Amino acid sequence: MSPRHFTLTDAAFASLGAGRPDPGTLGTLLRAQLSRNLLLLREVRRRQIAPAWFDRLGATGPDDAKHLITDPMTGLWAARALRAGDAADHPRPGGHRLTAVHHGLTLGVRVEDADPLREGFGLPPAEDHGTAALSRWQTLLDEAWLTLTSRHRPAAEVLAAVLRVIVPVRPDPAAEGISATSSEAFGAVALSAPADAAALAVGLLHETQHSVLNAVNLLFELVHPGGPAGYSPWRDDPRPAAGVLHGAYAYLAVTRFWRAELAHSGDRGAAFEFARWRVAVADAAGRLLDGGELTAAGTRFVTALRAEVRPWLDEPVDGEAVRLADLARTDHHLRWRLRNLTVPPEHTAELARAWRAGRPAPAVPSVPARGTGRALENSPRLRLIRSHLRNPGTAAVPDARDTAGDVACVRGDRVTALHAYHRDLREERDRDPAWSGLALVSPHRGLRCRPEVVKAAALAVPEADVDALADWLSG
Amino acid sequence: MDAGQDGGGTPAEWRSVMIDLSGSALADLVATDVAEDDDSALAHALRRVTAELERPGEPIAGFNSAI
Repeated sequence: MSPRHFTLTDAAFASLGAGRPDPGTLGTLLRAQLSRNLLLLREVRRRQIAPAWFDRLGATGPDDAKHLITDPMTGLWAARALRAGDAADHPRPGGHRLTAVHHGLTLGVRVEDADPLREGFGLPPAEDHGTAALSRWQTLLDEAWLTLTSRHRPAAEVLAAVLRVIVPVRPDPAAEGISATSSEAFGAVALSAPADAAALAVGLLHETQHSVLNAVNLLFELVHPGGPAGYSPWRDDPRPAAGVLHGAYAYLAVTRFWRAELAHSGDRGAAFEFARWRVAVADAAGRLLDGGELTAAGTRFVTALRAEVRPWLDEPVDGEAVRLADLARTDHHLRWRLRNLTVPPEHTAELARAWRAGRPAPAVPSVPARGTGRALENSPRLRLIRSHLRNPGTAAVPDARDTAGDVACVRGDRVTALHAYHRDLREERDRDPAWSGLALVSPHRGLRCRPEVVKAAALAVPEADVDALADWLSG
Repeated sequence: MDAGQDGGGTPAEWRSVMIDLSGSALADLVATDVAEDDDSALAHALRRVTAELERPGEPIAGFNSAI
């Protein structure tokens, strides 16, 4: 046995980093995943785990055997079996076959609604997969595929090559859509039922991009392990550099999708999404390149990623869409800081002493808050932004969940929003949505940059005026 | 990736520690012995794959793709 090492030319590797793998590169990734599954199964077999599975495999023809070995759920099963040192037999893939064909390109996927390994995606599997639910998936898949093959052909070709399994998961009431990918199940994505075909198209692009990056990670170390967790524009919890890279790579595909949709339709929602994510991807790539945690391969990969998105920053986009995109991005960052960072008690006490003594504000650190963990927390302002986008030229229609500050903030009325958030904080100081809202419209740099510090001081000195504190901390 | 490629600069070709086994039969791989201190390409690839299983952290890469 003298197998060859996998190789990619630098040009092919850079195209992969730019999210534009050519067919040859995709073939390399697919063969690498088959090689991975073969090696995992070798280990499972040699440890005499689940011998019945191998007996069945031996009884199938070579094509069927290869198909079974490359199945995403087989990869997941083998990895779990080895980690546990034991495993139940794994049934042959069941589920329901869905197919979409447009413009000469076929997408064939299995909706996996029975395999117990569906839990391996970390999200609760959906329960109802009767005829109506499957029919809905088929309809949306057909519509999404028409969009993808007609206006996003290269991305559609990647999907056709990689995607094999969709695992429906329960929607989360706190999120507009949830989805997940397991690094151990190449070609499988977990998705909640999408709202429409565009949501499905974007969800599939996004999650498949994670699968592609997982395949790259198998071939090449991109990030040195063990670095600290930090800000990611796509998550509410702190993420390591590898996680930030996953987000940037997935949202590169999402940004490209909305860019093409904007060019096609001029739609304001597409303009918002494009404006929102192009900056987030470029910024995240820049932080990765500056962070010192990328390997040589990772640096090459992310350099190509940033070079892909950078020219998009200069493309003209409707001004109101850009304003709302900036608002949504800043809102996320501020909420992230308030959720995940805090000022240690001894430094908070120091702030209080300095304020009461009339001294300048001392420098204090922000440190990770304990026990924040993973969460889904969509901002109420994001909902208002979407409403604003859907009804251009009219005021956002508030519902019972909306505060006067949020409505004014999204409308662009900073003065009204400022007064409203101050009023909210006079009623209750420990209210993060009001703090992040205030930070969005505040003239004080200290509050805009480090809201967690102003909040900590305001809680420690309840008699102080919040605006005066923010001014003091901005000095 | 080969260690030599992490020393700076951009190579003309990126070479993975993983090897292409796509043409191999599972039965042949099962029958091939690999010692713990084996320095073969197969042993390196095997360690690469099994090391992934031991890495701490969640397998979930994507989450909350709210759109």
